[in-house]
Parts: sequence; structure tokens; C-alpha cells
Amino acid sequence: MPTRTTTTVAALTLAALCAAPAAAAPSARELLDRFDDLYRGESAHGTMTMKVTTAHWTRELKIEFWSKGRERSLARILAPTKEKGTATLKVDNDMWNFLPKVDRVIKIPSSMMGDAWMGSHFTNDDLVKESRMADDFTFAISFTGARDGREVVEITCLPKPDAAVVWGKVVIELEAKSDLPLRVRYFDEDLAEARVMTFANVRAVGGRTMPTQMTIVPSDKPSESTVVTYDQIRFDLPLDDSLFSLRALQR
Amino acid sequence: MSPLHLAWRNLARNRGRTAITGAAVALSTTLLVVTFALTEGMLNQLVDSITKHLVGHVQLHAPGYRAERSLYAAIAAPGALVAAAEAEGLRAAPRTYGFGLLSHGTKSAGATFIGVDPAREKATFELWRQLAAGDFFTAERRGQVILGSRLARSLNVGVGDELVAIVQAADGSLGNELYRVGAVLRSVGESLDRGAALLLAADFDQLFLTGDVAHEIALTAPDRPLDEVTTLAAALAPDAEAKSWRQLMPAISDMLEMSRALMFLFGAIFFLAAAIGVLNTMLMATHDRVRELGVIKAIGATPLRIIVEVTTEGLLLALIATLLGGALGAALSLWLESHPLDLAAFSGSGFSFSGLVWDTLWYAKLLPSHVVAAVAPMWVASVAAALYPAVKAARLDPVKAMTHV
Repeated sequence: MPTRTTTTVAALTLAALCAAPAAAAPSARELLDRFDDLYRGESAHGTMTMKVTTAHWTRELKIEFWSKGRERSLARILAPTKEKGTATLKVDNDMWNFLPKVDRVIKIPSSMMGDAWMGSHFTNDDLVKESRMADDFTFAISFTGARDGREVVEITCLPKPDAAVVWGKVVIELEAKSDLPLRVRYFDEDLAEARVMTFANVRAVGGRTMPTQMTIVPSDKPSESTVVTYDQIRFDLPLDDSLFSLRALQR
Repeated sequence: MSPLHLAWRNLARNRGRTAITGAAVALSTTLLVVTFALTEGMLNQLVDSITKHLVGHVQLHAPGYRAERSLYAAIAAPGALVAAAEAEGLRAAPRTYGFGLLSHGTKSAGATFIGVDPAREKATFELWRQLAAGDFFTAERRGQVILGSRLARSLNVGVGDELVAIVQAADGSLGNELYRVGAVLRSVGESLDRGAALLLAADFDQLFLTGDVAHEIALTAPDRPLDEVTTLAAALAPDAEAKSWRQLMPAISDMLEMSRALMFLFGAIFFLAAAIGVLNTMLMATHDRVRELGVIKAIGATPLRIIVEVTTEGLLLALIATLLGGALGAALSLWLESHPLDLAAFSGSGFSFSGLVWDTLWYAKLLPSHVVAAVAPMWVASVAAALYPAVKAARLDPVKAMTHV
């Protein structure tokens, strides 16, 4: 079984790496935290385009989003017309959708957190999750060196036994010189690869240099994908808490 | 005098003994027939309770639908198929299935949306009778949903309350509509109770944008053999998958087969007890006559003649008794077909187990084979019971037999 081999190798690697503290800076924790904060900041506001391709349809959404800290975020669909105004509010671990067509707000039940967000390959949980990788996972640098023509650092993360994490393993590949993410592979609880997120189009936006395009491909349906492109983004601007309220959601 | 004539005269002469033995055989036959008919009735009712609400006898699906439950694995333009099935004398109900979220106030719950054709559901199935509150759909009353009992409870809604449905439509967009609760189902089985939200096929299409499709066509033909209906359905829809309810619900089908085997095992044990009773009565009756048989032998009857005579007598008695008993059993069973036993005293309001609901009224279902299965072994038992003492008597020394006490 390849998965079992992978587990064993990963576990041995982790054990070896934990035993001998990494001498090189930055540490795995610093890299993880940087990855966590890459798209967040104190606050953020911007627009993005989300293109979803499945076996049966393709659609493109324009979305305006706001976030404040890890706890609050709001996303509102700007286009297409049919879904304009549909919005998602997240406060702490709760999530609501506003549906302008029926003029109602509905709360997403916890049982639906694993379902697709707006038909994409992101789950509601991806949007709600606010804990830091470094808190939920045991992690270690599992590879450094050249891979696919680039110098990379690979961090393998295994969930802590009591962490509320749906993945069995997460492997993050960062570009060695910039510490920017290249690829994140998510494995399910049986340690089979579930989805792969790749990062591209590194450019300076909102005062940061970062990948502005993320592509997520489910491993069981390689012909499907969700591509998120940040069109514009600004960080650390003053946003009022009242923006992240049910009242504001319905506006 | 022929053995038959002799046997008849012997039986007529010992009225008391004949009456007791005959009554034992007749009563056993009656009870056996009724037991078989009640067993058959129970199994029939179990099958009915599985098939009559929604499942039907045979279902048609697009290939691959059952594994994936995908919105896209559907039978296109099901109208022609439904018409063809109806032309063959089957009843057909096309349905569409989709998954999504229902919400009322602060409560939300996942639901299985089932788009139905109300006229056909009503003509074919009995789910519409199983309403705890509200009315079944009419084609004109759009914008209503009928909820499973537990789904209604978890959303905390009753008839007339407003619901928001949110689903991923067939084009990937976020389908959302407002509905009112038109009715709430009684408990009819785990999966429907927990997740079912029935709506008109037209409303389903508006929500899911599926167009003119069906994910399932449920067929019924109560009076035709299941295999025949399955074959017919497969022939009507060569591009679809035709599965009988036994193939769709193998666990429940196996359980039913198991209970059938168990029931007939009980029947066999009961028969054994009845046969031993008959055997005993016949043995005693013949034993009584050892002296008499000794006399007959002494005046020149051959052993064979004695055996023939005694067994003929046993057979004649069995024929008459089983005729009466079988007729009585059949009559009682037929009566129980329209006058069911009421088990309410034992179980309250009926019981449900793994998706099947059984009401408290227990109807019998008599088949000709039940009468045969009760009567024929009785003959064998009676003859066998007569044979043993007859052989014994035939081998007796007449003097000893005559002095036998």
C-alpha cells in the first residue's frame, strides 16, 4: 500500500527532524505562520474572480470581500446578475448566507460545513477556519532542495489528536528564497490525496508581494477546478465591526 | 365386501371413536391452514409496507444514478416511458431527486428534495395517505413542500410555515426559493422521516433547473410476479436500469426471506405436533381393536387383508376429516382476509423497523397451496398411524389377540 509507505516515511522523517532541531532560519513555525497570514492581515478588502469548472458546467463569479482579523469576514457576489447580492457572513465559527432573491438570511448548519461554498471546490469550512496551522498540527520541514527546477522547502503537517481538522495530512511546499507558497496538498484521513492547491501569478498588490492566483483541483476529479484570482486587495485598512453583522449582510 | 365398504361400516359402528379421531385430524388441518394463511398474510403485508409508500415493485434509473445519486444521471423526457409502462398495465410514478438545505428562522437542516407528479403518486402509491397534518399536493398548488416527520421537527415547523430552500442547481448556480409547508408526513421509515421534502415536479425543476427529467420511475403491478414485471420494465427502458425492490433493498429482502423460512419452520413444528396427536389417536383406536382383529384373523382373514382393511379405514377417516377441517380452515382464513386480527392491544399504534412500517391489523392471505400443504401430510400421517398397529395386528397369533386386554 503506497499510502502506508507514505505514512511511515513521513512519520520517520518527522521523528528524525524533531530529534535534531533545524539549524537554518526561518523555522517551520515561522514559515507556517507566514503562510497563514499571507492573505489576512489585520484587515483586508478586495475583489476576486472565482472560476469554477466541473464536468457539467463552468461559471465565473466576481466577489467583493472584507475581512477583519481571523474572526470576521464578508463576501458578496457582484456578478453574474442572477446571483448578484448573494452574500456570506462569517463571525467566529458561525456562517450565514444572504439570498436576495428570497430576501432571507439562513444560517449554515454545522453539518453542512464540509459542503461546497457557492458551488466551488472550497468548503464552507475553508472559509470559517480561523485557528492557526501551527496550533492544529504537529509539523516539521520534511524536504529542502531543488524540485521541479525550483528551490523549495516542504513542511509536512500532521493533525494533533484533539484538533478539529478534517485532513489526515497537509503538505506545504514553499519557494525557498521568497517563502511564498507554491503548492499545498491535502490528504484525507486515510492519507489519500484529496485536493491540491497551487499558487501562481506572484505580484505586488496592496503593498505585499504574493501569489494572486490559487487553483484548487480535487484529486478524484482532476478535470475539475476552482481558480481564484485576486483582482485587487488592500490590507490593514480601518473596517468597522458593524460591517460584519446580520444587518449589514442583508444590505 | 370391499375393504372400502367394510371400512365405512367399521367407522359408522364406532361413532364415538370415529368422532374423536376425526375431530383431532379435522382440527389439526384447520389450524394448519389458518397458520399458513396468516403467515402468508404477514409476509405479504411486510412486502406491501415496503413497496406501497414510495418504493414500488420495480424502479427505473439512469445507469450509474444509484451509486452516485448525481443530479445529472437522469432519464431524459420520462413522459414517453411512463406512458409506455402504463400501456402495459403497470402503474408508474416519475420522480426527481436533489439534495440541499432547508431553513426556517434560525434552524437549518439538510434535506432530500423529491419532485413528484401528484396525480400519479396518488393513483399508484399510498404515501399521500400517510399525512400527520395538512393535505397532499394538487397540481395547481405550487410552492408547497411536504416534510418528513423528523425533518419538520428539527426545523420546528408546522403546516403553513415558511421555508427557504437552498440548493446547487444543475447549472452550478445557487438555487433558492421560498416554500410553505403543505403537509407533514407520519413516520414512514428512517430516511423519509429524517430528510424528505416532497414538492411538485414543476417546483423541483424551478429550484434545480433540471428540465424534463426523472431520476427514478417507480413501477407497481401488485398482481403480477416480480420477475415478470422486472423483465417487462427492462424491455420498456433498454437504456435504463430496471431493479426490483428486492435488488434495491437486498437487506430487507433477505430479512423477509429469513422470516418466511422461520415462519414455515414454525409451521412444520406445528404440523409435527398435530401429526403426533393424530398418530396417537389412531394408534389408540387401532389398539382398542386388537381383539376384534384377532377374531377376524381367526375366521380366516389373511394378514394382508387386515392391513388393507385397517389402513383403508384410517385413510377414509382422514379423507373425511381433512375435507371438513380443510373447508373450515379455508373458510376461517377467507374470513380473516377481510376481518383482520387487531394487534393494537399488544403494540399500540403499529411498529416500524428498519424503514418498514407495519400496522396493527393482521390480515390472512389464503393460497390453494396452503390447503394442500395442510391436507396431504395429514393423509400420510393418518395412514402411517394406522399402518403400524395394523401390521402388528396382522402378525398376531389370533388366540393371543383375542385374549388381548
